[in-house]
Amino acid sequence: MIIWPILSAIGRTLWLPGADGVSRFSLETYVFFFSDQYSINNLMVTLWTTGVCALLLLPICLPIALYLRFAKGRLAAYVQGLAIFPMFVPSIILSYAIIRVLGPNGTVDLLFNSVGLPKIRSPYLTPWGPVIGLVWDNIPLTVLILLSGLGAVSDQSVEAARDVGARRWAVLWHIILPRITNSILVAISFTVLGIFSAFTLPYVLGPAAPEMMGPFMQRTFRDLNDPTNAITQAVISFAFCIVFGLFYVRSVAKNRKT
Amino acid sequence: MAVLDIKDVTKIFGGTVAVERFNLTVADGELVCLLGPSGSGKSTLLRMIGGFETATSGVIAIDGEDVTRVPPERRPTGMVFQSHALWTHMNVFKNLAFGLKLRRLPPAEIKDRVEAVLEQVGLAGYGQRQTHQLSGGQQQRVALARSLVLEPKILLLDEPFASLDQHLRERLREEVRDLQQRLKITTLFVTHGQDEALALADRIVVLRAGRSEQIDPPDVVYRAPATPFVAGFIGTMNLIDGVVEGGVFRHPGLDLAMPVADGPATLAVRPEALGIAAATSAAAVIHRVTDYGTHAIVDIDLADGLRLKAMAPDARAWAAGTAVALSPQAFAVYRDNVAIHRAGA
Repeated sequence: MIIWPILSAIGRTLWLPGADGVSRFSLETYVFFFSDQYSINNLMVTLWTTGVCALLLLPICLPIALYLRFAKGRLAAYVQGLAIFPMFVPSIILSYAIIRVLGPNGTVDLLFNSVGLPKIRSPYLTPWGPVIGLVWDNIPLTVLILLSGLGAVSDQSVEAARDVGARRWAVLWHIILPRITNSILVAISFTVLGIFSAFTLPYVLGPAAPEMMGPFMQRTFRDLNDPTNAITQAVISFAFCIVFGLFYVRSVAKNRKT
Repeated sequence: MAVLDIKDVTKIFGGTVAVERFNLTVADGELVCLLGPSGSGKSTLLRMIGGFETATSGVIAIDGEDVTRVPPERRPTGMVFQSHALWTHMNVFKNLAFGLKLRRLPPAEIKDRVEAVLEQVGLAGYGQRQTHQLSGGQQQRVALARSLVLEPKILLLDEPFASLDQHLRERLREEVRDLQQRLKITTLFVTHGQDEALALADRIVVLRAGRSEQIDPPDVVYRAPATPFVAGFIGTMNLIDGVVEGGVFRHPGLDLAMPVADGPATLAVRPEALGIAAATSAAAVIHRVTDYGTHAIVDIDLADGLRLKAMAPDARAWAAGTAVALSPQAFAVYRDNVAIHRAGA
């Protein structure tokens, strides 16, 4: 169910039917993709968005996960609820919520206007629009993965570090982070895989050009009626994703070994 | 090496009092065991001394310096945890060197100190081993070495041998005692094992529901328990509730003369101090005889159903169903939670 569509997609982009109707091996579609500046720009903006999201997610989610792991009391339960909440919000609702808040004449503009401040430079329809949406959307999964990794760090190992003189940063750097390296890799792999193939948020919040691979594939397939190039774009996206997939598999295998 | 002073320390979690107005002074080089059942507050007390819990009120001082609000990383204490708490991503050497590196000692000195302390705990040459390659006993030695390498003023041990088997536990506690005496380090040792406390401690603190019941050397705690709780908690003790009338303690099957004012009382007799002799009266009857080779434990049922234990030199001399007369050789009498009379101790 998974392998066959992959093989079929690769096959359909490498064996193209000629004018006589006979299929023959050709790299034509790949040559086109990598020689077409528009396709390259789309790939670059996808890689940029994915990288920026991954870079932002870690410093946002790690403090939340650390707080949830070590804090006790009712406030921690509320924070956990808030952190997991985006998981239950459909992407389309989130998109329109972001437009209403950060879009032109949105809530932020209205609030600024009411106190005499100028309008903000809205991230809507810029590459930062999908970044904001995707980061918000991926917080729950990233927090949950990091939290599961932090579960392996016992209270006593942290206390033992403090006992020998380690302050907060030393505990984080020398004791906690080395123990959750695999979880960080898994979290990054998962978010990268999700963000690379995201459609709704980049489609609604992102610019018309360059566009991320998700909307690009969809437009090539439906609007341009060019399934072969759409599949080529999919295979290229898959090739990038599989690198992070292998990161994930390696982390899981390493975990099993230890 | 230091003197530890705990004055009127109270710890309240929510509405629960974990430790209440606790006082203790531990002398330089002394080993004190905190002994008590689960929930008695012994670990909370140790964690307050280590800085992992903050006392609700009271003062903890080390060498006269108030450390009550000082965080653990700045206290001159070293703690050994029940679960070893070794850092599994570091080898043995790195586990021991971590605290020294934080103190920015030169690498050569770190190496020398780590090797010296590994030698002290009998793990010379184990520095490059991963922690998962060590046995439970070796892991606990590494945990001990990790604390000792920093030369703390006070060593705190929180049930360090609880996860080990009996044989290993006995061996390790002897090693800890030898090491403690050699280094003359002031030590607090939390345990719920009375044998461990009796074997190790210079003094034992018996805790119950956050309060100290008795603070005394092991022989005093064993032979002259201050309260019926201590009497029942340390070793095996027969506790018999009765009434003193006209200078005679009365309980069905047992009358005992004693110079005590009339009123309710609890008689405490160790099995080895409860003499038995064949009798005709059925007020006390042997229920079971258990032969331990060197001695026998005789279970005796009194008329009201209370079961007592007596120690006899030879199991073959006694049989179930035999009526016996009881004659306590050494005993204590308690009233209102205080010992009011002792005899033969």
